[in-house]
Amino acid sequence: MVDDGQLQAWFNREVFPLEAALTRYISRHWRNQSDIADLRQEIYVRIYSSAQRQLPVNPKAFLFTTARNHLINVARSARVVSLDLVADLEASFPDLTGLDLDRQLSAREELRRVQQGLDRLPKRCRQVMMLRRIEGLSTKEVAERLNISVRTVENQLVHGMRALTDFMMGGQGRIRRAGATRVGRSESRT
Amino acid sequence: MSQYRDIEDAAAAWLMRKSEGLSVEEQSNLEAWLDASPEHKLAFWRLEYGWSQAGRLSALRSPDFSDERTGAAGAPRRRLSVNSGRRQLLALAASIVIAACIGLVAWPHADIFETEIGERQQVTLEDGSRLDLNTRTRLRASMSENEREAWLDEGEAYFSIARDPARPFILHMGDRTVRVLGTRFIARRHGDEISVSVVEGRVSVDAGGDTHQAPEILTAGDVVTTEGDQLQRRREPMEEMDARLSWRGGQLVFDQVTLSSAVAEFNRYNHTQVQVTDPETGAILIGGTFEAGNVDAFARLLDSAYDLNVTRDGDVITISQ
Repeated sequence: MVDDGQLQAWFNREVFPLEAALTRYISRHWRNQSDIADLRQEIYVRIYSSAQRQLPVNPKAFLFTTARNHLINVARSARVVSLDLVADLEASFPDLTGLDLDRQLSAREELRRVQQGLDRLPKRCRQVMMLRRIEGLSTKEVAERLNISVRTVENQLVHGMRALTDFMMGGQGRIRRAGATRVGRSESRT
Repeated sequence: MSQYRDIEDAAAAWLMRKSEGLSVEEQSNLEAWLDASPEHKLAFWRLEYGWSQAGRLSALRSPDFSDERTGAAGAPRRRLSVNSGRRQLLALAASIVIAACIGLVAWPHADIFETEIGERQQVTLEDGSRLDLNTRTRLRASMSENEREAWLDEGEAYFSIARDPARPFILHMGDRTVRVLGTRFIARRHGDEISVSVVEGRVSVDAGGDTHQAPEILTAGDVVTTEGDQLQRRREPMEEMDARLSWRGGQLVFDQVTLSSAVAEFNRYNHTQVQVTDPETGAILIGGTFEAGNVDAFARLLDSAYDLNVTRDGDVITISQ
């Protein structure tokens, strides 16, 4: 049994850096783009369960094989599913040498990515994230400096953390407000 | 509905609180939340990964950060531009020129040091000052040409400050500030409560806020603590100062202190928390030298030497008469 500390380190080292490629893979093979975050999370959970027993020797191959199998399963169990999709997926065993999978971002590119992600945030949210994360102020100090409530700082941080992580890992980096309605998975399981 | 969005929302809220420092109770709540399902764990790990990546950007702290402070839109010159390399280069050159003009080329870079419960850490700052961080402490330090500054957000640290008359060392604890040239002292903070104990040299402590209290000048053996808004000053024998420093060797030294204050000390260092059921038991005076991390030995002693009732339930040890 692999413990959680090792597993988290393994995810940080091997899995999360591939998230942009994984997200591209899912979006290429899945019609409803609003399902992507859920699908990705389900794939992570599957990987976690297997890795708990033993860490995979080839994380990349394992990640994409799991992704493919999961998409096939979900597509098959959906009631409205095009046969093309399944056939397509089964033929889609990802080319692990291509897809810029091997292209790890350099440290400099990563930093640029963070900066871009911050720049995309709404102004107030960006200020809060900069002060808290880059300048190292506490939540309370951020609130005092910007003359806003601690509660507002906390809300902005929650939004900002999510959007920035999303962007850095290859997503759009958009803020999703609580209560924003979201269309259910069109090809979802029942 | 996307379940994942809800989970991610909760995970972000947890991560935010964790980054502020969790109480023992919050920590165990977080662990329970994480253990509740792999979905929770993965959402949390993923955000933690993103958050730690973002932290690497602190290396690029902006020289004209005041723009952000005053609420002006982020100045384009600060950004590593999305556009062409040429523009980036120009932007970089511009920012250097601007920074040079306002004399902030060496914008201080704040280093953050943090310890977990029961952990201690030794730190040497750029100026040669040495710091010992005690359990559950968060401290930031920033060195510039004219000033040495640090912020004690929570916890306790021993400061052995390198002498530099041209650059005073200023420690902020909320509104309170400690100013020294070169000296050794201990500062401790829990929320608004602070204490400063001087081991060697002179330090000046300013109560800050609206107290209009003149700064206290302290020398070796002096201790100030907060009483409400005010600072109270007293003098302690040097042996007492040694006891105050004993945590640097992982020990707690008590000399006829009340059981409740001894217990409060132990609780700072351990996930296992001790509670005393009634004030009468809490008022018993005890003494001795203990390992800070060995709360069980302490509990056994209370049982055997003081004949108190000691019961344990998970991570909670309860003491009664």
